Amino acid sequence: MEISLSIFYYIYLIFVIIYLFYTFSNIYHLVRFGFLSVSNITLIFFYLAVSILILTISWRYISQINWHQMISLIPQFQF
Amino acid sequence: MLLRRHPFIILVRIISWAIIALLPLIFYLILGEIVAGFFTHEVFWPILVLFTSIYYLYIWLFMFSSFVDYYLDAWVVTNYRIINIEQKGLFHRVISEQRLYRIQDVTSELKGFFPTFLNFGNIYVQTAGEAERFVFKQVPNPYQVVSKITKLVEENKKFHNLMMAEDKIST
Repeated sequence: MEISLSIFYYIYLIFVIIYLFYTFSNIYHLVRFGFLSVSNITLIFFYLAVSILILTISWRYISQINWHQMISLIPQFQF
Repeated sequence: MLLRRHPFIILVRIISWAIIALLPLIFYLILGEIVAGFFTHEVFWPILVLFTSIYYLYIWLFMFSSFVDYYLDAWVVTNYRIINIEQKGLFHRVISEQRLYRIQDVTSELKGFFPTFLNFGNIYVQTAGEAERFVFKQVPNPYQVVSKITKLVEENKKFHNLMMAEDKIST
């Protein structure tokens, strides 16, 4: 039985969407309930900058992989 | 007076997450030769890339969430009332307030090695209201804060008694 490697990629995308949702929620809470000071805004931008950096580095490696290749779930033994 | 937890608390949390972030690197340094085969395998390498990406994204998210949780917990003491603002999780926020003249007792507690040397601790405010006890958690200079609150409570009680007396005379 063979499956496409892209399944793992789609699972990864779901995790990224959840990550973006919680990122938005955290920033929303900081902006709504916190003080909108220079340090607060700087921190939010720093967090977003590092997030973009992680995603950019990840994309650099992900884009080099052939996700359409098929992988076998049942290992094939040769006698 | 706006109070938050001592910065040492958030520093400990961030350092903990930073140590967890270093675990894959330590793992690679110790088992580098054994796991080297995974980096060229056609199936394991893509999964490793995705897993590492998710791992660092979520550590960064948890670090930020820890800060947001720390930052949004606050205690405010004014001339008339105390306000307890507690962020219990991302979608759960509790705000309670109590008038100063209803405060019956204020106690401070310093417990542990770091709290003693860094001078932070809990303050327990006993009130006569629906929320019987307010707890200011891990705030800096608890003794000074208690002394300030006690002074404000005394002044507010005098003022409140004066207002009550004036109301009685006018009626």
